[in-house]
Amino acid sequence: MVENVFDANVEHLVIRVNGRFDYSCHKVFRDAFVLAPRAKSYQVDLSHVEYLDSSALGMLLLLRDYAGGEEAHVALTNSSKAVNDLLKMANFNRLFDMSE
Amino acid sequence: MKSALTILIADDNPSDRLLLGAMLKQFGHHVVVAKDGQEAVDLFDPAVIQLVCLDVRMPHKNGWEAAVEIQNLSLDSFIPIVFLSGVTDPVALSNCLEVGGADFIAKPYNPALVTAKLNAIARLLVMQKTLEDQRDAMAWYNEQLVHEQEMAKEIYENITHSNCLNDPALTTYHHASHTFNGDVILAAYKPNGGMHLLLGDFTGHGLSAAIGALPLADIFFDWTKKGFLMRQIIPEMNARLKSILPANMFCSAAFIDIKANEKNVEVWNGGLPDLLFFSQSKKEPRRLISKNFPLGAVSPTIFECVVEPISYVPGDTLISFSDGVYEAADRNEVMFCESVLKPLYRGDVKPNDSINWLIDRLKAEGVLDNPHDDISCLGISLDTCIGANSLPDQEFAGLVDFPADFSFEYKLGAESLRTTDPLPYVLQIITTVPGLSSYSSQVFMILSELYSNALEHGVLELDSSKKNTLDGFSVYYKEREQSLASLTNGFVKISAKVVSDKQLGQLILEVEDSGRGFDYESLDFTLGSTEVPYNRGLALLHQICQEIGFSNGGRTVTAHFHWRPEKNK
Repeated sequence: MVENVFDANVEHLVIRVNGRFDYSCHKVFRDAFVLAPRAKSYQVDLSHVEYLDSSALGMLLLLRDYAGGEEAHVALTNSSKAVNDLLKMANFNRLFDMSE
Repeated sequence: MKSALTILIADDNPSDRLLLGAMLKQFGHHVVVAKDGQEAVDLFDPAVIQLVCLDVRMPHKNGWEAAVEIQNLSLDSFIPIVFLSGVTDPVALSNCLEVGGADFIAKPYNPALVTAKLNAIARLLVMQKTLEDQRDAMAWYNEQLVHEQEMAKEIYENITHSNCLNDPALTTYHHASHTFNGDVILAAYKPNGGMHLLLGDFTGHGLSAAIGALPLADIFFDWTKKGFLMRQIIPEMNARLKSILPANMFCSAAFIDIKANEKNVEVWNGGLPDLLFFSQSKKEPRRLISKNFPLGAVSPTIFECVVEPISYVPGDTLISFSDGVYEAADRNEVMFCESVLKPLYRGDVKPNDSINWLIDRLKAEGVLDNPHDDISCLGISLDTCIGANSLPDQEFAGLVDFPADFSFEYKLGAESLRTTDPLPYVLQIITTVPGLSSYSSQVFMILSELYSNALEHGVLELDSSKKNTLDGFSVYYKEREQSLASLTNGFVKISAKVVSDKQLGQLILEVEDSGRGFDYESLDFTLGSTEVPYNRGLALLHQICQEIGFSNGGRTVTAHFHWRPEKNK
């Protein structure tokens, strides 16, 4: 389950993923940013993610690419320790804003 | 199908039979007639008859009995049976449906009703036919797909597997969640001894994950064979995968370079769970965490290659596994890394048995029966003889030798020393001589030994006695890195000369550096007498080469390598 909220004032898009973040979310996750208005910055709220696999990491890369690649502003927020460990294993803390 | 059907009619009453037959013919159908149940069974041919109309009460065999036999004869094809009856007894009629009848037509016949019922049945037949065609097409397609996958799997395995995986130092385990495994374990002997290993885990599973392994394996084997270093191979793999994989696909991997002669391994971890190094002198393993991006995830401009060097003594163990192990759920739905793997991390598992222990745990927790991800494990018993006896390349074995006579000189200034590794190119030129190509491991060893001596001790003026202690290698390595990065002047000159005729081949390699030279008079070449690790290199060269000479105050080393050209076959 994926939800998104767009803040038009600051052109900021928040995508929230609930439950398992794996290949089954592929389409909805993609739709959550492709079908939403273009944003200047993105945030993926992982507070409700219990589990994430490598295809989820792939989807995050897809979002980063869409948001401008090296120039993208994508924050990954509220991740649990287990999820955080997996993100760090792939060194995603250097590709995404994970400071908090 | 919608127009003409071939219909079998069985009725013992001649006038009814005639009437129905005439009616059906009038609608354009073909009619086959039988006088009783037995004749109907005899005339029934499932390849021709598409619909059967049976009177219920007939001599010899009644309609119900005939219906059962006809259905047995129908085999796989669906041929509907319609009962014809003057009776209106509900029990008799329901019996018609019970024996498998599709419908019944009441006597006396009403042409409008007969037409309507036949049309309904014709529609049923069309639908049935469509379903059968689709079923057959699906079965054929599936068979084709399985066949193609099996073929592709064989090709895939041929490309990604090398006989090197059978090396006694290695323990490997692969378990795929699909026909194709998105995990790969690659192993190749280096031309100068030692081994390169790669454990990779592509995003996703199955065919789409496996296909990325082909270019990966291609670069891995090809570049290793040509003598390229781990630090050169990894960025190349990243660049290639980045350019061909979709944005959401990448490969988490660990690359391991075993330098058996120097008793050290270098480990690169990009996105895999911690590799574990078990030293015999410590209980807990050293964890080698992922310090790099996975391969193919980011562009070459931000990709880095952070490598951890480890010195080992024979008998130490290094293990690696994919996240299929790390993230597997135990029987209480807790991830392995939080439960099952703890004793391994604490050092409570015998290191040289750890892979078998892992497999047992995976079995006991039911992971292998229902894997959610591909699973791979790799264990290495570190030793000094790994890759020492690797067979020379078979590719040129059949080639006939021919005389050669050439020489060249390759001088690298500070800028080039910082940024390039000349050895693969030099090796490639030298091994164009067919007879010499089967000695490429020896040639590479001579070259790399002379070159690294010239660079590290000559140009960079590093003190090799630092390598003496167990942790010393890392210090040495760091210093080498730093002073190389800030190098502004100095040079290394490599001169090669090859002369061969039918009797004898000679390779003369001369390496000169801009350093201060050294006192070569006091060198001890005997392998056995010295336990000092830093002299091992030259002592080995002394065994391989016919002659080693120093000149120019120790700044120039000349190695003579002789070989016997192969006899013409």
